[in-house]
Amino acid sequence: MIRRITFLLAVGVLSGVACAPDTPNGMNGAHDHSSMPVDPASVMGEPDRPIAGPQGAVGQFVVECPYSHALPDDPIVYPGDAGASHMHVFFGNVGANAMSTLTTLLAGDTTCEQALDTASYWAPALYDGNEMLIPEKSVAYYRAGLDVEPTAVEAFPAGLAMIAGDAAATEPQPTSVVAWSCGSGAIRETTPPDCPDDRGLRLDVTFPDCWDGAHLDVPGHREHMRYSSGGECPSTHPVHVPQLIFSVAYSFSGNPTGLKLASGGVLTGHADFVNSWNQAKLLDEVKYCLHRDVVCGVTSGRISG
Amino acid sequence: MKRSLRALIGVSVLGLSLVACGSGDDEAEVPNTEAPTSEAPATEAPSTEAPADGVLNVPADYATIQAAVDAAVEGDLILIAPGTYNEAVQVTTNNIVIRGLDRNTVIMDGNFELDNGFRVVGASGVAIENMTAMNYTKNGFFWTGSTGYRGSYLTAWRNGDYGIYAFDSVGGLLENSYAAGSPDAGFYIGQCYPCDAVIRNVVSEHNGLGYSGTNSGGNLLIVNSVFRRNRAGVVPNSGSYELCYPERKTTIVGNQVYSNNQPDTPAIDVAILAMGNGILSAGGVQNIIERNRVWDHDKTGIGLVPFLEEDANDAIPAKDAWDMPCAEQKQLMPTLPDGPLLWDSQDTEVRDNVLEDNRRADIAVGSAGTNLWELGNCFEGNTFTTSAPLDLETLAPCGSPLSETAGDWTAGDLMVITWLADAETAPPSVDWKTATLPDLPQLENMPDAATAPAVPASATPPTIDLAAITVPDKIS
Repeated sequence: MIRRITFLLAVGVLSGVACAPDTPNGMNGAHDHSSMPVDPASVMGEPDRPIAGPQGAVGQFVVECPYSHALPDDPIVYPGDAGASHMHVFFGNVGANAMSTLTTLLAGDTTCEQALDTASYWAPALYDGNEMLIPEKSVAYYRAGLDVEPTAVEAFPAGLAMIAGDAAATEPQPTSVVAWSCGSGAIRETTPPDCPDDRGLRLDVTFPDCWDGAHLDVPGHREHMRYSSGGECPSTHPVHVPQLIFSVAYSFSGNPTGLKLASGGVLTGHADFVNSWNQAKLLDEVKYCLHRDVVCGVTSGRISG
Repeated sequence: MKRSLRALIGVSVLGLSLVACGSGDDEAEVPNTEAPTSEAPATEAPSTEAPADGVLNVPADYATIQAAVDAAVEGDLILIAPGTYNEAVQVTTNNIVIRGLDRNTVIMDGNFELDNGFRVVGASGVAIENMTAMNYTKNGFFWTGSTGYRGSYLTAWRNGDYGIYAFDSVGGLLENSYAAGSPDAGFYIGQCYPCDAVIRNVVSEHNGLGYSGTNSGGNLLIVNSVFRRNRAGVVPNSGSYELCYPERKTTIVGNQVYSNNQPDTPAIDVAILAMGNGILSAGGVQNIIERNRVWDHDKTGIGLVPFLEEDANDAIPAKDAWDMPCAEQKQLMPTLPDGPLLWDSQDTEVRDNVLEDNRRADIAVGSAGTNLWELGNCFEGNTFTTSAPLDLETLAPCGSPLSETAGDWTAGDLMVITWLADAETAPPSVDWKTATLPDLPQLENMPDAATAPAVPASATPPTIDLAAITVPDKIS
């Protein structure tokens, strides 16, 4: 329980958010071996449309984070239980593992070009046959949700944990939530396309942008979050938070028929996020870039120098 | 390795000039659009309110630049004393001037951790003057969403993305400034049309690109500047990953562009693809390239080439939409592309430049399948030795429609597609944090920094007398 207390203290200090008394499963709670909802979309909804196309029309900030490490850990779903998960690839926080807490993550280093983004991002590992593909990087786009009034958006509370996409999916997921693409192109597919050599495969996962205002995580890791629709959050989840569009970029291109995710086939795309940003910096980015509806950065399909 | 070579054909660049010295052939001081105002009572420092004289001194009145910026009101002048400042300053107040007392000793240092030295976010009329920014993970000086911006007597050295960077901003002036050591462009103006902006008397060296501007143009002038020893020199370019395509109507006059083959710089992939070119239009249209002196390049002195964008986000606008202002284009719903986009360089005039020792060709136009005579690019009055295709000024004179029958358009073809393979074997990017750079130069200060009145940035850039600009002498 010590970890749990530390967690709450940190949350209180950093964000002043009151946590509900129930103990969520997740980073600091009991292990959650129950399966996730069969159809997460039925719980959280989905964006009104896929978010793709040219950047520069709406305010955003963007963080590119080179690949950090791979572990069969899931700090949200199997906290404290090293090796309990399928293989994940991690970006951002270099110390993220099954034992992570908000405190340890905040003290961790990051792979991100934005040195104050010490958040942890992860996704299931991708295999070509039996070979695990090492991603090049992730790209995290932070925006107001579709048609959401930008000034209504509040920063994620410190320690917020969420999952987008369905690791147990057996049918194609909505491309507005989980999609495959090439480079930074706008075309979104339910299965991996055959990408050109220099515009490698990407897995694009769009996170929910409405929060219940109370829980940093919940059993099942879904009920505290919803997608906005028509620019509005539901009354049960009234807090607008940034829409995180998370893209895992591989140098893999060409024939995709041998690809599979560690969580199953290529339909099981999903990604996880724990907000362990330097909270002051995250607040600044929301204030300066989203509230002012200003483009604080763009990314192309290019390879960084 | 799967570098995006094909993407390279379209890239961005920056330039630099040795010494930022005022040039006399352009003119017009920026008008002071806003009289200094200050409602704050006079109080002794440190204070949370602006002093009555409208001058906020750092660190005498405010311990940090950010504190002074936050306290400033329109018309104020923030004066920064010599020292090293480990700050990433956010600016949201319109019409303020932020000035260092000494360009070479007022140093913003990001320590490889902070992102931007200055980020002006949606504020208009902000001028930044007379200081140095180094070791930022993103940009030295950055304006975004601004109407009216000015950077004068700035030095940007060893920053992780761009040196001096204006995005989605109009009405700008970047002058008497220097940028070195960025993997993207030393100087960049992008996503604007019409941009109404001027770059003059700058030096850009040892960057991936000397100048780059994606999807910018329209009264955008790059004049009297030096772009040397970058991977590539001046590279306006088009692409659909951000808005306001295509790049068009950039005017490049009176610059010294040389030795942009530098193998040991940091470089994004397009900089490696564009390596060895002096002035390279990558998918840009309606540009004017006149009276520049361009020498010592492994590939072309002035090249007009296509950019193949395989990860497209929209369709290429039809020619009759090229004049649509950026603000209007932003309202359009993009078209989901059904394949790669080929941005051809078109309708560009290359006149009266002086070129030598550009080893592939002094002047060149290339395509990826489009008939060259259908592109409308023309070449006239240049002093040159080699061209691709051969006899280019005979094939493509200015002032009359181009003709397939003007001669042999295939002899000496640029074979731009081979650049993809060249990029595979080019020297790889060097980490921007450790790349060898020229020593941080000691550069000219703005006159009377301590006493000159605050002149916020005007949204109307100075009028440049382009006709008065002659081909600059050769320097080395």
